[in-house]
Amino acid sequence: MKELEKTKRISIASVLTILVVIIALLSYKRPKHNYTVNTRDALEKITDSDYFLSLNEIDNPDYVLIDVRNQYEYEKGHLENAINIYASEILNDDNSDVFKDLKEQNKTVLLYGEKPDEVLAPYMLLYQLGYDNIKILGIEINYDQNTLITKNVVVEKSAPDINAFIKESIKKAAAKPKPIRIKKIPKKVIPVKKKKKVMPEGGC
Amino acid sequence: MINRKLAKVLAFRYTLLAVILILLAGGLVLLPKYEKHEGINSEELLSNAISPERYISTDELADKIVSQDPSFLLIDIRDEKAFKNNSLPGAINIPLKKLLDEDSTTYLDQDEFDVILFSNTNFQADQAWILCSRLGYKNHRVLKGGLNEWFNTIINPPKPTENMPASAFELYSFRKAASMYFGVAYPEAIKKQPVVKKVIPKKVIPVKKKKKKMPEGGC
Repeated sequence: MKELEKTKRISIASVLTILVVIIALLSYKRPKHNYTVNTRDALEKITDSDYFLSLNEIDNPDYVLIDVRNQYEYEKGHLENAINIYASEILNDDNSDVFKDLKEQNKTVLLYGEKPDEVLAPYMLLYQLGYDNIKILGIEINYDQNTLITKNVVVEKSAPDINAFIKESIKKAAAKPKPIRIKKIPKKVIPVKKKKKVMPEGGC
Repeated sequence: MINRKLAKVLAFRYTLLAVILILLAGGLVLLPKYEKHEGINSEELLSNAISPERYISTDELADKIVSQDPSFLLIDIRDEKAFKNNSLPGAINIPLKKLLDEDSTTYLDQDEFDVILFSNTNFQADQAWILCSRLGYKNHRVLKGGLNEWFNTIINPPKPTENMPASAFELYSFRKAASMYFGVAYPEAIKKQPVVKKVIPKKVIPVKKKKKKMPEGGC
């Protein structure tokens, strides 16, 4: 009888354990998007390599333009042949498929927005997820009476020299006003004819 | 009729079961390690990166510095040459390339102080912020506009024209005061020294009055 009891307990315990393991394995969801690049490599990429393009370089059949602004801005005006994918929606299923397809077709994706700052977040995210075929188009967008104006912009221009400005201002403030030389105007001499007093003739 | 072999195996059934379970446990432990999957998940990173909450304006920062708020660290992520040339008062230099070094983590991965990252504009500071955010550092912020904006608003604030609301004038006086704190000198602020006039004692010169002599004789 003891043998049977032992069997029962052990078999129940083992069946339960196996069940738990199976359930855990099934319910373990892989995160949809996995990073393929760790932070060190990402840092190297952004500090070392050149991932900016300018407007005159976009004429290439291998380049696909993506506008990361929202739909309203996109419809106001966008670059030719640009697709609109709003920055906060790049991880949606449809958009992920678009990126996967583009990667498979070996096309280079150029992201642009109103300013390069807008594009930075989607760029870094996509790069860290493994899409290394992405570059940033360094442009700024303005509208002039509903027509789109794009211009190339250099990112991280050096700051105006603050210390030089401060020293300049101290110099200016300490400078005494220079005395202005008053030019001596030469006195004009106007000859005045003296009228001779004619003494009345005759007696006094 | 039990097979003899089976009977033999069944004799070891408990050890067999134990071995199977240990193997399964080992399998669980060695699940594929996502060693590249460090940090917070990508959806969260995206929403953090897009949200403008991380920005701090130049006026706020000037206020913090002037009022000597002790709870923040300023970190300049430009390279060393630019840092030596000029930077904000009290800033520490961690060039972007060294962001993930061990020395830098003592400044970046701590809970005591708020970290404010800045660079020339906010582009590189944003890059640093996104990487730090992926690693889970929570209390980081970015100076909006960077040093360029700092110059244009605090050091050299634009004078409000007459058609602007009173708040613009208040903002201007705040910014002007902040700029004076940071070293900018204005000509009107210098007190004019009173010019000491030397009092020249009046010299008294006696003037002899010439008496007019009447012509003698007749007219």
